[in-house]
Amino acid sequence: MIDKSFGDPNLKMQSINLSAWFGSKQVLKDINLNVKANAVTAIIGPSGCGKSTFIRCLNRMHELVPTAKMSGEVLLDNENIYDKAVDPVMVRRRVGMVFQKPNPFPTMSIYDNVAAGLKLIGAKKGKNLDEIVKRSLEHATLWEEVKDDLKKPGTSISGGQQQRLCIARAIALQPEVILMDEPCSALDPIATAKIERLVVELKRDYTVVIVTHNMQQASRVSDYTAFLYLGSLVEFGATRDIFENPKNPLTEKYITGEFG
Amino acid sequence: MSRIIDRGLEEQSVLLTKMGELTYETLALSIRGYLSSRSVEQEVREMSDTLVAMADKVEDQAFQLIVRFQPVASDLRTIKSYMKIGYDFARYGRYSLDISYINDQLEGLKECDAWIREYINEMSTKVLYMVKTSIDSLRRLDITLAKSILQPEREVDQMYLDFLNRLIRQEQASSKCIISSSLMARYLERIADHATYVCESIVYIVTGEKIVLR
Repeated sequence: MIDKSFGDPNLKMQSINLSAWFGSKQVLKDINLNVKANAVTAIIGPSGCGKSTFIRCLNRMHELVPTAKMSGEVLLDNENIYDKAVDPVMVRRRVGMVFQKPNPFPTMSIYDNVAAGLKLIGAKKGKNLDEIVKRSLEHATLWEEVKDDLKKPGTSISGGQQQRLCIARAIALQPEVILMDEPCSALDPIATAKIERLVVELKRDYTVVIVTHNMQQASRVSDYTAFLYLGSLVEFGATRDIFENPKNPLTEKYITGEFG
Repeated sequence: MSRIIDRGLEEQSVLLTKMGELTYETLALSIRGYLSSRSVEQEVREMSDTLVAMADKVEDQAFQLIVRFQPVASDLRTIKSYMKIGYDFARYGRYSLDISYINDQLEGLKECDAWIREYINEMSTKVLYMVKTSIDSLRRLDITLAKSILQPEREVDQMYLDFLNRLIRQEQASSKCIISSSLMARYLERIADHATYVCESIVYIVTGEKIVLR
């Protein structure tokens, strides 16, 4: 078991002996991982290794699946987000999620897509909301491209722009951590490059955890990398070390393409 | 099933092995010529130019592998190290050419006392052994052999310093002999350094550990 390292300002999240199941099938086994603040942590591993389940445990989305269960702890600023007293809605507000496929709300405008979450928590129309929408779109490096089309449907823009819109939607709620589940897998190389640049930008203000199948992407954007295999954490370390000199032969085999 | 990148790495390995063999021949020829005051500059120049061209090829292949496969881990370490080793081998060739040049210009050690000829001969033998060690270590990726270069490297360094000290105190030596022998000792010491770099690269390829064998 890892130290909880209470008070370490560099740690934003920690999973402690985190295990997860779908029905009787265990998909995560005692994962102990530290997520550093204002850094990008990449989760890599072959299909079915538990990457997506892991990040869905980081904002209590895993429990939304009827047969799902988990054990262990997930600390956000040293507080266990699975504590009975903790409101899961508040957790998901603090720990936002961007999904594999861009999923703007299809009936809403670009503006409303960004404002939707804020309205749900009681924000009123007006200058303040306009400001937050603008700032969120700027943070997502989309403002210049859509500022004259804010009333157009969110689905009318390109796939890459839609994904950045989804990032703006997440940012609008002012989360502290942004989880990204293969955010570029449905995008072309140019849109991918824009998202990657954005991910690197975002870490100035947020902590980012990104699941990716693309190891070059992990090596480009992340500061730390975790390799999961068959539900277990095989290796975790600075991205440069993992990709130049992995300690575990399994990691070496996976990242050099000997299996996967 | 082997990976596509393995073919490229194998090509690089074969090319470097050939470079290693040519390197040793080039160096041995230039040293033999120097010790016997026989001109071999033309041959050595051609061999050295071939080594430079081969080093360029190693570098080109490395760039292709990087662009095509975006290698990581041991693949990345191997490619990076192969480029360095290619350069080290090309340097062996250039020092061989330098040796041939001073042989032609200064008639080797013809005007030197016997002790100088013996000293340089002994230092040459040790350096050739180091070069062979570096080449054999690469061929077999043998880190034990690679690490064994530490001792002769230290001995050659010490021999170089001792030689200069002794040469300073030498009375009645011709300027040709002083220039020729001190340059030769310097070249040998530098060649030994490059043999050591090659061995350090081999340890890095195999273990990922960046060590200094000097």
